[in-house]
Amino acid sequence: MLSFLHFLLLIALVACASASSDYHERLLLRPLPQSTLLASFNFRSMESSVAFAQQNFRYFPRSFGQILQHAHTKELHVRFSVGRWDADNWGQRPWHGAREGGTGVELWAWIEAQSEEEAFSRWLTLVNSLSGLFCASLNFIDATKTIRPVMSFVPEGDHANSTSLHLLHGTLPHEVVCTENLTPFLKLLPCKGKAGISSLLDGHKLFDASFQTMAIDVRPVCEGAGGSCVLEMEQTVDMVLDIARSKRPRDDPIPRARPIEEIECDTGKGYNSGDTCYPLDKHAEPAWNLTELFGRPLKGACPLTEETGDDANTLCINTPPERTIQVNTTGKYAETRSASDTLRCYKLPIGAEFDLVLPEQQMTTGLVRAEPQLYAARSINGHGQERGSVQAVIKNPSETDAVEFVYLESLPWFMKPYLHTLRARVDTSSENPVRETYYRPAVDRRRGTHLELRMVIPAGSTLTLTYDFEKAILRYTEYPPDANRGFDVAPAVIRLLAPYQSVDKKGIYLRTTSLLLPLPTPDFSMPYNVIILTSTVMALGFGNIFNLLVRRFVGVDEVPALGAGGLKGVIMGKIERLKAKLGRA
Amino acid sequence: MPLDQQKALLFGSAAAVRLLLFTAFPSLPNRLAGRVEVSTPVTSFKRLQEGLFLYTHNVSPYDGGVYHQAPLLLPLFSLLPNPSYYPFATSVLFTMVDLLSALALAQIAESGQSVVTRLFKSSRKDLRWSSVAIAAGFLFNPFTVATCIARSTSALTNLFILTAMAKASQGASFTFVLALSFASYLAMHPLLLFPPLLVLLYDARASKTKSAPSPFLFSVVHTLGLAAAVCALLFVSALLTGSWDFLAATYGVRLLLPDLTPNVGLWWYFFTEMFDSFREFFLGVFWLHVASYMPGLTIRLRKQPLFVATTLTGIFAIFTPYPSIADATLYLSLVPLFRHLFPLMRYTFLASASILYASFLGPAFYHLWIYAGSGNANFFYAITLVWSLGLSIIVGDSLYAALRDELDVERPELRGEEVKRI
Repeated sequence: MLSFLHFLLLIALVACASASSDYHERLLLRPLPQSTLLASFNFRSMESSVAFAQQNFRYFPRSFGQILQHAHTKELHVRFSVGRWDADNWGQRPWHGAREGGTGVELWAWIEAQSEEEAFSRWLTLVNSLSGLFCASLNFIDATKTIRPVMSFVPEGDHANSTSLHLLHGTLPHEVVCTENLTPFLKLLPCKGKAGISSLLDGHKLFDASFQTMAIDVRPVCEGAGGSCVLEMEQTVDMVLDIARSKRPRDDPIPRARPIEEIECDTGKGYNSGDTCYPLDKHAEPAWNLTELFGRPLKGACPLTEETGDDANTLCINTPPERTIQVNTTGKYAETRSASDTLRCYKLPIGAEFDLVLPEQQMTTGLVRAEPQLYAARSINGHGQERGSVQAVIKNPSETDAVEFVYLESLPWFMKPYLHTLRARVDTSSENPVRETYYRPAVDRRRGTHLELRMVIPAGSTLTLTYDFEKAILRYTEYPPDANRGFDVAPAVIRLLAPYQSVDKKGIYLRTTSLLLPLPTPDFSMPYNVIILTSTVMALGFGNIFNLLVRRFVGVDEVPALGAGGLKGVIMGKIERLKAKLGRA
Repeated sequence: MPLDQQKALLFGSAAAVRLLLFTAFPSLPNRLAGRVEVSTPVTSFKRLQEGLFLYTHNVSPYDGGVYHQAPLLLPLFSLLPNPSYYPFATSVLFTMVDLLSALALAQIAESGQSVVTRLFKSSRKDLRWSSVAIAAGFLFNPFTVATCIARSTSALTNLFILTAMAKASQGASFTFVLALSFASYLAMHPLLLFPPLLVLLYDARASKTKSAPSPFLFSVVHTLGLAAAVCALLFVSALLTGSWDFLAATYGVRLLLPDLTPNVGLWWYFFTEMFDSFREFFLGVFWLHVASYMPGLTIRLRKQPLFVATTLTGIFAIFTPYPSIADATLYLSLVPLFRHLFPLMRYTFLASASILYASFLGPAFYHLWIYAGSGNANFFYAITLVWSLGLSIIVGDSLYAALRDELDVERPELRGEEVKRI
C-alpha cells in the first residue's frame, strides 16, 4: 500500500516536471512616442490532444475546455478590445495585428459539424456558454451578427479533416469591455494573477489605457505528419499606457494644475514672468516604474514557468541600450541582453517582489518606429438620418511593393448598402483595384450584410472605397433604451495577403475603428396615439363610404312621411310590420 | 385645331418637358428617386438598380432585403445601358411609359363609359372634358412628372392599369386580361380591379353585339384567362430566377410589411409603433379593410363599373401598405373623367386644400425630422394623415356625387332637391 502511494507521488512529480515546459508567459515592454508604453502580455499553455479528449486538464482551464468540447470547437479566437491603435504615431501593431480585435467583442471559431445548420446551432451553444464564462453579452451574437468569412480568416492550427470545419465569425461592437471581463480572463491562467507577470494586470489601469485588447486563441498544433498533437491556448493582453496618466495616484485621479514653483518654465517665452509660465518641453523620456504604472507590484515569477533557458526570461523591455534601468528586488534575478542590447530580459525571482525603475533621462537616440504595411481609416459621409455613404481610405506607404489584401465588412441589417454604388479608386492609376468580390446581402431581421473584397493597392498609393447605404427605420421595440445615441457598426477587418507574409500562420491584420450610425427614430411615447389617430382616419374613410353604400337616398320632404330616421323610426317601422303580419294571420 | 393635331402637340410637349428635365438637371432623377413620397421600397429605382446589379453579377436579388420588385423587370432593364453612366435610354423609356398611359387614358375618355354605360345614362352626360384635356391633366400633373423623373416602377403599374381600363371599356378581352395580369403581377393589389373591370368589359361587349353573352360563362372564361396569364408570368419569373424565392421577397413584403421606410400611407408608422403581439392581427385587419371596398362598390354601383374602378384606385392610393404619389396621380387623373359629377360634390375646397397643404408641408416636415432634427417622426406622420384624409374626402365625396347622379336618373323629380340618406 505504502509503495503504491510512493508510486503515485512519483508519477505526480514526473508529471510536474514534464509539464513545467507546457506553460510559458512573457511580458514585453516597449516605449512608444509621446510618453506612452506598450505592454504586451503573453501566456501560453499546452495540453496534449489525448489528455484533452480524456478531459485530463492540467494547465488548460477545465471550464473553458469543456465548453470547447461540448460545442465541437476545434479552433477559437476571442477578442475584447477598447480604444484605437494610433498607427500614425505608434507604428506597426503588436503581433502584426493577429492578436487584436475590433472595438467591443469579436469572436471567430472553426466548428466541426456535418451541415451548416448543425454548425450554427453549435455556434449558438458556444457563444451562450462563453457569455456566461466571460460575463460578456456574447449571447447577443445571433444570426444577424454572424457571418461566414471566405477569404479573411484561415485556420492557425493544424486540422486533420478541414472539410467538416465551419468558420463562423461574430462581432459585438457595442459591447463595453470592462473589469468583469478581466477577472474571468485571469482565472483561466494557471497562476490566476497571484504571481508572475499577470500580477500586474489591474482593471483600473488596463481599462484606462489608450488602447487595450485581450485575446484568447485556442488552436491544435501538430508536430509533422502523424505526429502528436497538442492543444495550445494563448492568452494575450496588449495595452498602450499613457505614462503620465497612469502615474496619477489612485486616490487623486483628477489632473490638477501644479503650483507654479514646481513647474519648469520655458523662460524663452516673451510672456514668462512670476505668474505666467509656459511648461518647458524637455523631450526627455519620463521616469516610471512598474508598480507606479500598473498600480500594483510584480509579485515575482509564476512557479510553473521554466526555470532555465530562454523561456525563463519572462519580463523583457525593448529600449535603446543607453536607457538606464534599475532593478529593485530582494530576490534572485538574472538579466540577459540580446539584439545588440536593445532587448533586456529578466528572469524573475520566485516569491519576492520585482520592480523596474527607469529614471527621467535625456535620450540621444530616438525610438525606432516600424512602419505599418498599410494604414486604414473608415468613416460615414453625408448628413441626415435617411441615407449616407461609407468611405474607407487605405494607404500603402511602401515605395516599392504593391500590397494585396482582403477587406471584410460585416454590417448590421438595418444599414442597407447599395453595391451598385461601390467605387474603388486608386489615386495613382485608373485601374480598378478590386480583384474579387464576395457579397451576401442582408435580409431584414434575419442576417446582416457580409462583404469581402480582394484588392490590390499599388506602391505609394491611396485607395478610396465608397458605397452608399440607406438606413432602415425599426419597430419601436427594436430600439435600445438610448436610441438616439445611434447603433455601432463593426470595424472592417483587413488581412494582408502579399507580399508581406508572417513567419507563422497567424497572418497580418489591421482593423479600422467602429462606426456610429444614427438611425431615424419614431416617437417612443406615441403607440396609443398613433393607433388611435390612424384608426380614426381609416374609420372616417370606411364609415363615409359604407354609409353611402348601404343607405338609399330619399327626398327631405319624404322623410317624415316614411317615419324613418333615427331609432324611433326604425322601431315604429318594425311595429308596423309586425302589426301587418299579425293582422294577416 | 383638329383633334389629332392637338394630341400630337400635347404628347410632343409632354415628352419635351420630361426629356428637358432629365437632361437639363442630371441630378434631379436621383434626388427625386430618393424622396420617400415618390419612391417606396417596392417601386424605388435605386433598389431596382441594386437588384439589376446583383442579377447581372449572378447573386440572387431576392436573397436580400433590398430588392422587392417583380423579376421580369430585371431582364427588361438589363437590356438598357447602365443608367448610372448612360441615363438617356432609361429617360426615354419612362417618358414613353407616361405617353402610353396618357394614350390609354384618352381612349378611356373617348369610350364615354364614364357617363353612358349599357345600363345607365347620366342626366348630365353632356358635361364632359375632351380626351385631350384629360390626357393633359395626367401628363402635366406635377405628381406624374415627379414619378416619371424619379423613374419609379409604379409608372409601369399605372400604365398597365390604365391600359386594362381602356381595353375593358373598348371590349377588347384579350388585351384587357393581359394588361391586368401584368398590373397584378407587378403590384398585386390591382387584382382587386378585376371584378369591376370585368363588368365594364361585359357591358362594352354586350352593347357592341346584339345578343349579350352569358354572364356566367363570360366571367368564368375571363377569370380562367386571368389566372392562366398570372400563373404564366409567375412561372416565367421562377424560370428566370431559378427559384420561387421571389414570391416571399415581392408579394410577401407587400403583405407583411417588414420594411418600415416612411411613405405617404397610413401603414408604416402604425406598424412601427404597433405592439409585437398584435402585429399579425392588424396586418390581417388592414388587408381585409383594403379588400372590403371592392365587393361593396361593385354591387352597389353595378351600373357604373368604370366609376367603381376609379374609386378603387383612390382606395389603393390611401390604404395600401406602400402608397406613393404615383398612386395618387393615377386616381387624380381618372377623376376628371367624371366631370359631370363635379357640380354635385360638396367638399371640393376642403379636399383640394388639404391635398395642397399636405403636398407642400410633407417635404418640409420630413426635412425637419430627418435632416434638421428640429422635428420628430410625428411631424411627417401628421402630414400623411392629412394627405390620406384629403384623398378619402375626394373618394367619399365623388361616391356621394355618383350616387346622387344615379338618383337623378331613377327619380328625376328629386333633381336639385334636398335629399337625405336613410
